[in-house]
Amino acid sequence: MRQYAALSRRAVVNLLRQPTSVVPSLLFPLLFLALTSSAFDRSTALPGFPQVESFLQFVVATTIVQGALFGSIAAGSDMATDIEDGFFDRLVASPVARTSILVGRVMGSMVFGFMQAWLFFGITSLFGLNVRSGIIGMAAISLVSALLAGGIGAVSVAFALRTGSAEAVRGAFPLLFSFLFLSSAFFPRDLMNGWFKSVASLNPLSYMIEGLRSQVITGLDAGGLAAAAGVAFGILVVGTSAAGLALSRRLTANF
Amino acid sequence: MEREPSDNPIVTEGLVRRFGAIEAVAGVDLSVGRGEIFGFLGPNGAGKSTMVRMLTTLLRPSAGRALVGGHDVVRDADAVRRSIGVALQDAAIDPLMTGRELLSLQAVLHGIDKTEGRRRGDELLETVGLTGAAGRRVGTYSGGMKRRLDLALALVHKPNILFLDEPTTGLDPNSRIALWDEVRVLNTHSGATVFLTTQYMEEADQLAGRIAIIDDGRIVAEGTPAELKSRVGDPTLRVVLQSDQDAVSAEAALLRLGEPVADSPGHVSIRLAGGASRVAAAARALEDAGIQIEGLELRSPTLDDVFHIATGRRLEGTAAEDAEPEEAESSAP
Ligand SMILES: Nc1ncnc2c1ncn2[C@@H]1O[C@H](COP(=O)(O)OP(=O)(O)OP(=O)(O)O)[C@@H](O)[C@H]1O
Ligand SMILES: [Mg+2]
Repeated sequence: MRQYAALSRRAVVNLLRQPTSVVPSLLFPLLFLALTSSAFDRSTALPGFPQVESFLQFVVATTIVQGALFGSIAAGSDMATDIEDGFFDRLVASPVARTSILVGRVMGSMVFGFMQAWLFFGITSLFGLNVRSGIIGMAAISLVSALLAGGIGAVSVAFALRTGSAEAVRGAFPLLFSFLFLSSAFFPRDLMNGWFKSVASLNPLSYMIEGLRSQVITGLDAGGLAAAAGVAFGILVVGTSAAGLALSRRLTANF
Repeated sequence: MEREPSDNPIVTEGLVRRFGAIEAVAGVDLSVGRGEIFGFLGPNGAGKSTMVRMLTTLLRPSAGRALVGGHDVVRDADAVRRSIGVALQDAAIDPLMTGRELLSLQAVLHGIDKTEGRRRGDELLETVGLTGAAGRRVGTYSGGMKRRLDLALALVHKPNILFLDEPTTGLDPNSRIALWDEVRVLNTHSGATVFLTTQYMEEADQLAGRIAIIDDGRIVAEGTPAELKSRVGDPTLRVVLQSDQDAVSAEAALLRLGEPVADSPGHVSIRLAGGASRVAAAARALEDAGIQIEGLELRSPTLDDVFHIATGRRLEGTAAEDAEPEEAESSAP
């Protein structure tokens, strides 16, 4: 158990000591938040737009999801760097449990996702954000953010284990961005039409963001929370399985 | 093999590793005794790292078998991992962590408890002379400091068997000698068996009690440094000529004193039969033939000569870097 904790701690330390990998993933969502909440504030008056105090209140859930998505790529690129540098071999040559190599990264990513959500709440509350569901809702959102960060972290770790290249892992960034953009991240689905609406309705991220959003704009909502947690947990399960498979493939490829 | 094979910490039988068509290790039989410093000497690409990676469970042998600490590296990989310490050739050390953090992480990975891990870490930092730098990130360390930390990391769990893959490659002569001392101290104090690869004949010569020379995946010579060198026999006498035109006549003049050895233009070398006592005779032979010389060097057999005799080639790197004659009898004109 201590091995899992130690490797998770290392993953977090990795993130915190590499400002160049964390800061963009923090700043980018905040920048988006600032841009959209000033540019689209009037759109909240459109018929069909949910009842909100401000666009900021509408979009903050997106910011948190975006941060979790982008920040978690670091789990994969750090893992790939370990492979490139040979730190991975150091771990493999020690009697450490094989799963802890993977779990450490995923846990590190979860800690990151959790802390980042609180950071975003802190910053946006300075700009007058009101979370209807209060501190309990914020805690719930942070936990879902942690789950999601773990899930995307696991997916990127799987990718890292397959490719062994940090460059390739970072190359997945635009893919994640499209994934996010093709959802109800920035607009309510009720205001969309055509193929965009169909795609957004197929995108599980829509349900996750809407579930979290409803905690912010209407108040504690068990159904929405369950949907959001469900999506995040699904990604975590799929990601961890893929990463587990990729790890055992890598270990047996040479071995 | 004098001892019961199972008694020896490292035993391989017909060990082979292929990468596609390449046979990186092509059937190696080895037996390393307890407490020995075993030197695995070979040029770039000889198969040293491949060998180490098989013995440390990172790579599966294509054929043959290997026992480390009495455990099969394939069937009993975890037991092997518990009994070995490894400093790999290319294993970078996480530059974002401090030396002390890495040592305690390594301790945890080996299941050592926190206080014991910390005590052990401090002790090792002291041993390798990194106490002062322990709180600094490894990214700020010099090459030599990294290698010393790497050595300390390999020792955290007090392994009985230690694998060091080219521990001094890239180090300056002083750091290299300091690291040799550490390996020696460690070997005498803890009695750990050390399997060390190197491309420097001097390193193998100085440090190892027994050596295997590997080339192209095969062991071409094995024994103590003294044994191997004595098999070469006579020392090499090297004549530095004033004019390369005298090369043929110089060789002819020296023919009855020993067998010629290939050398660069402007030089003639022979294996001087009878050794140092015949230097005067050689000088006289050259004088009688009217050959003007710049100097004479007498060089005892080196592991490079052993390698040369076995393969017809010189050890890469060593020829350029370490080829200063060890016992030179130079006479300037
Ligand atoms: N993963 C691999 N895939 C393909 N070929 C490999 C692999 N690892 C090693 N080789 C090949 O096997 C041979 C032996 O390599 P190895 O790394 O064992 O040599 P070495 O003696 O350690 O050399 P050096 O002194 O440069 O470290 C080389 O020809 C190398 O190209
Ligand atoms: Mg090597």
